[in-house]
Amino acid sequence: MASNSIKLLAPDVHRNLAELVAKRLGLRLTDADLKRDPTGEVSFSIGESVRDQDIYIIMQIGSGVVNDRVLELLIMINACKTASARRITAVIPNFPYARQDRKDKSRAPITAKLMADMLTTSGCDHVITMDLHASQIQGFFDIPVDNLYAEPSVVRYIKENVSWKEAAIISPDAGGAKRAATLADRLDLNFALIHKERARANEVSRMVLVGDVTDKICIIVDDMADTCGTLGKAAEVLLDHGAKSVIAIVTHGVLSGRAIENINNSKLDRVVCTNTVPFEEKMKSCSKLDVVDVSSVLAESIRRLHNGESISYLFKHYPL
Amino acid sequence: MGEIVIFGGDSHPELVKMICDNLAIHSSKVQMGKFSNGETSVSVRESVREKDVYVIQSGCGHVNDTFMELLILISACKTASASRVTAVMPYFCYSRQPDIPYTNKGAPLISRTSEERSDEFNKSLSTGLTTRKPGAESPFEGPESSIRSDGGRSEDSKPSSSSSNSTSNSDGIKKSVSFSRIPVIADGKDAGSTKADAGELFNAQNAGYKLWVAQAGTLIANLLTTAGADHVITMDLHDPQFQGFFDISVDNLYCKPLAQKHIQFGIPNYKEAVIVSPDAGGAKRATSIADALKLSFALIHKERRSQLLKGPPGATLSSGGTFSTNPKPLVSHLHSADMHPSNSASKYVQTTMLVGDVRNKVCIIVDDLVDTSYTITRAAKLLKDQGASKVYALITHGIFSGDALSRIRQSAIDKLIVSNTVPQHETVAYLGKDKVDVMDVSRIFAEAIRRVHNGESISMLFEHGW
Repeated sequence: MASNSIKLLAPDVHRNLAELVAKRLGLRLTDADLKRDPTGEVSFSIGESVRDQDIYIIMQIGSGVVNDRVLELLIMINACKTASARRITAVIPNFPYARQDRKDKSRAPITAKLMADMLTTSGCDHVITMDLHASQIQGFFDIPVDNLYAEPSVVRYIKENVSWKEAAIISPDAGGAKRAATLADRLDLNFALIHKERARANEVSRMVLVGDVTDKICIIVDDMADTCGTLGKAAEVLLDHGAKSVIAIVTHGVLSGRAIENINNSKLDRVVCTNTVPFEEKMKSCSKLDVVDVSSVLAESIRRLHNGESISYLFKHYPL
Repeated sequence: MGEIVIFGGDSHPELVKMICDNLAIHSSKVQMGKFSNGETSVSVRESVREKDVYVIQSGCGHVNDTFMELLILISACKTASASRVTAVMPYFCYSRQPDIPYTNKGAPLISRTSEERSDEFNKSLSTGLTTRKPGAESPFEGPESSIRSDGGRSEDSKPSSSSSNSTSNSDGIKKSVSFSRIPVIADGKDAGSTKADAGELFNAQNAGYKLWVAQAGTLIANLLTTAGADHVITMDLHDPQFQGFFDISVDNLYCKPLAQKHIQFGIPNYKEAVIVSPDAGGAKRATSIADALKLSFALIHKERRSQLLKGPPGATLSSGGTFSTNPKPLVSHLHSADMHPSNSASKYVQTTMLVGDVRNKVCIIVDDLVDTSYTITRAAKLLKDQGASKVYALITHGIFSGDALSRIRQSAIDKLIVSNTVPQHETVAYLGKDKVDVMDVSRIFAEAIRRVHNGESISMLFEHGW
C-alpha cells in the first residue's frame, strides 16, 4: 500500500473494546462524531482526513438497539468511502442477525445475507468478525471475511481459571457440537452433548444428555447466550446426572431480556463471556458473570491485516 | 405481472389501512417483531410468488428500526420469489442532507438551516423585538438584576421544557423575551453541548477548514436497491435530486394538488392570501402553488454573512443593517445574538429579510418538511410583526421531533395544515382539532399504486391529485 497509515474508528457508545484494541496497537482512536436526532436519524462527521488510509471501524453490537448500531456502522463506512479512504474494514465481533441465516420457514427473510449485502453496498472492503453463528455466512459476502475464533482465548481462560484436568466440555445443542468437540480435543477432555427439542425460539422443551459427566466440572460451551434459559436448564440436567459443578463459557454474551434473572436463579457457578458484546453494566447486577478479553486477538488481526500477514496463526494461538 | 399484494410496516398502520380501503383490497398478513436481543424479525404470512408486492413503510417513529424493517421485508419478499417489490415510503427517511451534524434537539434541514443554530431561535426572535422596539413588549424592563437573580425562571422560559410550561402562550413568549434580553445569562444557559458542538463547527468553517458531515442519501438509496426493491414511490422528496441517487425507478408524488385544494376550500377568502416561503430553499415549491392559485408571494430570506467585525458592537449593527436605509421594499432585520460582544467567537451577522408585502393579509407558509419547527415558527413571528392578519402553515411532512409541538403551540401560527405521511394523532391531540387540519394522502398513494400496478401513467397525479 502506498499509504501506510492506519486509523481506528469507533462510535461514541461502547468504546471499551475499541479502546483496548487501540491501546494494544499503540494507536489513538480517531475522533468520530456521531449525532442522532430525536427520531433516530444519524449524522456522522470524522474529525480528520481519512484520504488514502487504511480504516478500521470497531463496532460492538449489543442487545437492544441493533438496528441503530447497524445503520450507524453503514453510515460510518459510507462516509469513509466517500472521503476516499483506501480500504475500510468493519470489525464486528458480534455479527448482527447471524441467526437469521437460512430460510427456515416459508418466506422467512435471510437477514444475514441482507446484512452482508448492505455492508458491501456501503463500501466495506473487508470484515473481521468472531465466532460466526454459522461459518457459512462468510459465503454471503462478496468481500473477504475473516472469522476469528475465541477458542484460543477461551482455552487460556480455562487453563488459568478452572481446575480443568477434571472438567468435561458440554455442548448445549447439536448445532454447537463441533465447536465443543474441537475445544475438548484441544484440552484433551471428555465431551458430552445435550440434545434438546426446541418448541419455539428462546424456549426449551426437553433435554437429553449424551455422555458421562459424573463428578466432573462441566464447561458448557456455546457461541451465543441470549436469554440464558437454555444454559440454566442445561445446568440442571448436568447436575441431575451427577456433575460436580457447571460453568458456561459463551463467545457472545448478548444477555437480553431476563438473562440476568435467569443466571442468578440458575445453578450455574459462573457464566463467562468474551467482551465482543458490551455487558459491563450487567456485570454489576450479576456476580456470576466473568469476562474473557479478546481485544488482543482483534488487535493482532488488525495489525496482521494491515501489514498483509497471515491471520491463520490466530485461529490456533493466543497472541502474547 | 401477477396480482397485487400490499404489506404494511409497523410505522403507520392507519395510512396502510386507508390506502388499502381506497384500493378495495386487504393488506396481506405480515408479522413484525423483535427478538429479545433487539434484532428485527419479520414473517410473511401469505404467498408472494410471482406477485406484484407493495411494501408501505413511512420513515417515521424510530427511523432506523422502521427502515430496517422495510429492508428485511423487501428482502424476504424478494427471496420468496415475488416478481416485483415496490417500496412505498410516504416520508422518505434520511432525505435531508444536512451539512451540520444533527443535535439532540433535531435534525437540521439542508443548506438553509446550515446557517442557523437550533438554540438561536429564542435569541433571534427576541432580539429582533428588542432592537426594533426596545423594551416595549417586555414586562421586565426594570433592573436586570431582578431577572438575573432568578435562575429558575430563565430555565422555564426555554420552550423546550415539557408541557408544564405551555399553560399560557403569551406567558411563554414574554418570558423568552425577558430571558434573552440579557444575553449574558442566555449564553450561559444555552451554551449546552449542542451549541458548543455546532458552534465549533461553524468556527472551523469560518477559519477556512470545513469539517464535513457524512451524507447518507446515496447509501440509503443503495441499501433499498440492495435489499431488492425494484421501484420506489415516495412524496415530496426534500431534494428532487435525490431521485438521481437511485439505480431503480423512483416516483416522487406531489402533495401540491392536495395542498391547493386545502387552500381553496379550507381558507376563507383565500384569494387575498399570500404564499410565503420560510426560506430561499423552498421558494420554488411555494411559487408553484402561488402561481397555480394566482396568489401573491413573499419570501423570507436568511443571510448569514461571515464578515469580520472589528469595531464595537454598535458598528456591527450598522454594517449588518445596510438594507434598512432603503425604506421602499419592506425589509426587516433580525439580528441574531451572535453579534453580541459576549459571544466573541462568532463573527457572523445574520439578517432575516422579508421580501414582499404581507400587511393585513392572510399568510400561508409553505414548507415540505418540518422537524424542529424553528424555521416556520420564526417565520410566523416575523410575518405577524410585519402586520400579517393570520398565519397558516402548510406542511407535507410533519415530523415534529423533540419539543417542536410546544414551540408551534406558543408560536404565532394560527393554523397548521399537515399531511398524514407521518402519523399526526399526537399533533391533533396536542394542538387541538381546530388548530390542525390533516390532509389525507392515502388516495394519491392508492391511485399511484393502482396505476403503477396496471402500468398506466402517473403523471396526471402530479398536476391534479386524486
